[in-house]
Amino acid sequence: MTDTVRTGARAPAMDRFSLPGLLRARETGVFLALVVLCLFLTFATDGFLTSVNLLNVGRQISLLGIMAVGMTFVLISGEVDLSVGSNYALSGLATGMLIIAGWGLVPALCVGLVTGMTIGLINGVLSTYGRLPSLIATLGMLSVVRGSALILTNGQPVTVNVRNGADPGVLEIFSFIGQGYLFGIVPMQLVFFILIAALAWVVLSCTNFGFRVFAVGGSAKAARVSGISINSVKIWAFVLMGALAAFAGILSLAFLPSGQAGRTGLGLELDVIAATIVGGASLSGGEGTILGTILGVLIIGVMRNGLVLMGVNPFVQELMIGLVIIIAVGIDKWSTRRRA
Amino acid sequence: MNASNPQTEIVRIAGVTKRFPGVLALDRINVAFAAGEVHAVIGENGAGKSTLMNILAGDLQPNDGQIFIDGAPSVIATPLVSRAHGITVVYQELALCPTLSIAENIMMPDMAARSVATFVPRDQMRREARAALARLGMDHLDPDTKVGRLSVAEAQLVEIARAIRQKARLLVLDEPNSALSTRESEKLFEIVRQLRADGVAVIYVSHHLDEVLDLADRITVMRDGRTIETMINDNVSQDRLIRAMVGRDLGSARPWTLQQNSAAHPVVLTVDDLTAPGLDQVNFTVRAGEILGIGGLPDSGKDRLGDVLFGLIPRSGKVTIDGKELPAAAPSASIRYGMAYVPADRRGAGALLTMSVADNVVSAALKNFSVSGFLRRAQIKREARAQVARLDARISHLGQKLATLSGGNQQKIILGRSLVTNPRLLVLHEPTRGIDVGAKAEIYQILRQIAGEGVAIIMISSEMPELVMNAERVLVMRSGRLSEELRGADVNEEAILARAMAS
Repeated sequence: MTDTVRTGARAPAMDRFSLPGLLRARETGVFLALVVLCLFLTFATDGFLTSVNLLNVGRQISLLGIMAVGMTFVLISGEVDLSVGSNYALSGLATGMLIIAGWGLVPALCVGLVTGMTIGLINGVLSTYGRLPSLIATLGMLSVVRGSALILTNGQPVTVNVRNGADPGVLEIFSFIGQGYLFGIVPMQLVFFILIAALAWVVLSCTNFGFRVFAVGGSAKAARVSGISINSVKIWAFVLMGALAAFAGILSLAFLPSGQAGRTGLGLELDVIAATIVGGASLSGGEGTILGTILGVLIIGVMRNGLVLMGVNPFVQELMIGLVIIIAVGIDKWSTRRRA
Repeated sequence: MNASNPQTEIVRIAGVTKRFPGVLALDRINVAFAAGEVHAVIGENGAGKSTLMNILAGDLQPNDGQIFIDGAPSVIATPLVSRAHGITVVYQELALCPTLSIAENIMMPDMAARSVATFVPRDQMRREARAALARLGMDHLDPDTKVGRLSVAEAQLVEIARAIRQKARLLVLDEPNSALSTRESEKLFEIVRQLRADGVAVIYVSHHLDEVLDLADRITVMRDGRTIETMINDNVSQDRLIRAMVGRDLGSARPWTLQQNSAAHPVVLTVDDLTAPGLDQVNFTVRAGEILGIGGLPDSGKDRLGDVLFGLIPRSGKVTIDGKELPAAAPSASIRYGMAYVPADRRGAGALLTMSVADNVVSAALKNFSVSGFLRRAQIKREARAQVARLDARISHLGQKLATLSGGNQQKIILGRSLVTNPRLLVLHEPTRGIDVGAKAEIYQILRQIAGEGVAIIMISSEMPELVMNAERVLVMRSGRLSEELRGADVNEEAILARAMAS
């Protein structure tokens, strides 16, 4: 027997139960940042800490949040999806056009969702069997889908109302989905976001599928030698992302209730990715949580809301959101290096 | 200790051949593994052991030959098929997911076998993982710890724990204890013996002959992609194993006369008490015009020596070139003091693959080829042309991208790059890895020529024939320390191997 050389430092195994261990969790940091932000806005503005404003924030973040939930799956699996903004536009507009054409609500919604899932399926297949990096595959799909939306609508705005041909009964329910309030106070969009986030949390942290998403993104080799099919896990993550982007797009059209292929959801993919990453998901895969993503979405939403309430110049708002992203990811990288 | 009762064969490999572009990795392999035996597979680097294990794991497909499982001809098309046959492989390079916990890694194969639409049984996972760890005496590890936070040794034990849990019929351990302490290894051997008693076939791939002789019932020796012989471990000596592994006509091993007596030449490099991760108080000197060989097993520390000398890894101790002490951890200073370094990882660290031959040649001495920041193209071309001619590199034109050259020609260009700085000392790590035989001979010729011009050369290599053929003196590294030197007629493969594996 030879003496052997130890190259790795012995890591303390029990520190996750200690206070420093708890403080090191990504969510805690984001959560503290959110608390500080909220405290600051409570004292700096008159209108922040009111139920009306908070529910308003809740509605404003919902669509972003629904998409960020999907993006969490995609990022953890080690991929990225840049086509979600275009998907949001195409799927929403397609649903709206079908309603205008006199379709019933359920068939129109189904077509919209299937459109989104198909886009996700194409993204997934290109990124796995097609061997394209998802950054490239979905960058291409971003234009393909946006172009399809322009062709479909001929560049004209789509406005869902009775005058354009929608059935009044269908329109009433469609509007309620986007503009209504549960019990008269909770915006329906927020209700959907909460339901989807809760469901996603269960899937990601409690089911075998969620486990596989982490395994595939954490180490493709480890997953493969364990017998996990990397391609199918990634494709399902993209399909889920596609469905959620489509649903958010449909809600958006129901809320406004009009959209235009050249403008709807333009650049939205970057907000979605930013919120997810601020929430702790890693671009290199294997890391991320639904709770973190919700906090990331909240930080960006509260920040926007607060800057508006304080009357900050919208151009400066944009700049500050950018700084938040850089600082949040900077903290992540810094702490990763310390752990390594 | 050989198990003499009639055993059932689990896997038989008959005439299996595996070709890679330009290399015959496995050449008509014949070997069988039986239930209830520990079957050691030994051989030098490049003998084909890992390729064979990858075929068993379903990671590689043979070009020819047949695999019989339980007597029936079988194709191991994927890792899943391999596991369905009850084959489990513990990889030399770890196959763990650093972002998941110990429990999640240990239970990953179970999760893969269950339906996607089930819940993760967290408590059961933790319980079973804890039991698997306890079997290895690793009770102190918390199953919820992320694997990325573990030491290499701990991660290796987690990987072994995962394999043992799977109740394999054939368990492949490929260098399973390269990072383990003596105590941890003992625990592993105990479990291997227990598995044998339970009727598992254990394939044990190792460089440590003492362990092999201690554990194995049968030993198969591989050399140059062939199975040389399978022997029953009964009064087998280490010398016998080493002879079987080396197996060449030793008389012709040193084809060139080491003409010069470089003892008369001035000392170029002096290393005093060099200590770094994996290296323990290393001392040696190299003289001008001399080729010093450094050998050793993969985990001996020799693979770090080049990086440490060049300053890529922080060190303590004194390194002097021509009497001037080198600052630690400063590669740029090492170049200035006259050192040139050719790392083993040609594609990663050595070459600018996407750039041209000419750019690669001058890249280590750009200052000499530019004025006020502008490159002097004509001068660069002249220098590149001179080096290409000197090294006899076969290229189509100086603008050719390095990636399109063969491995041998790439290595020549990299050698040329190190010579542009007019080094006093040339440190080469695995100088002919992945290069075909003809180009190897040419590179050896070039190295002798460079040495003849008065450059001191250190050749760190896993290929013993290469050391025997080229080095005037050979130092063998083991556990981070150097053995006494081999010199002149004492330099032969058996002597190197015996020192590398000494216990």
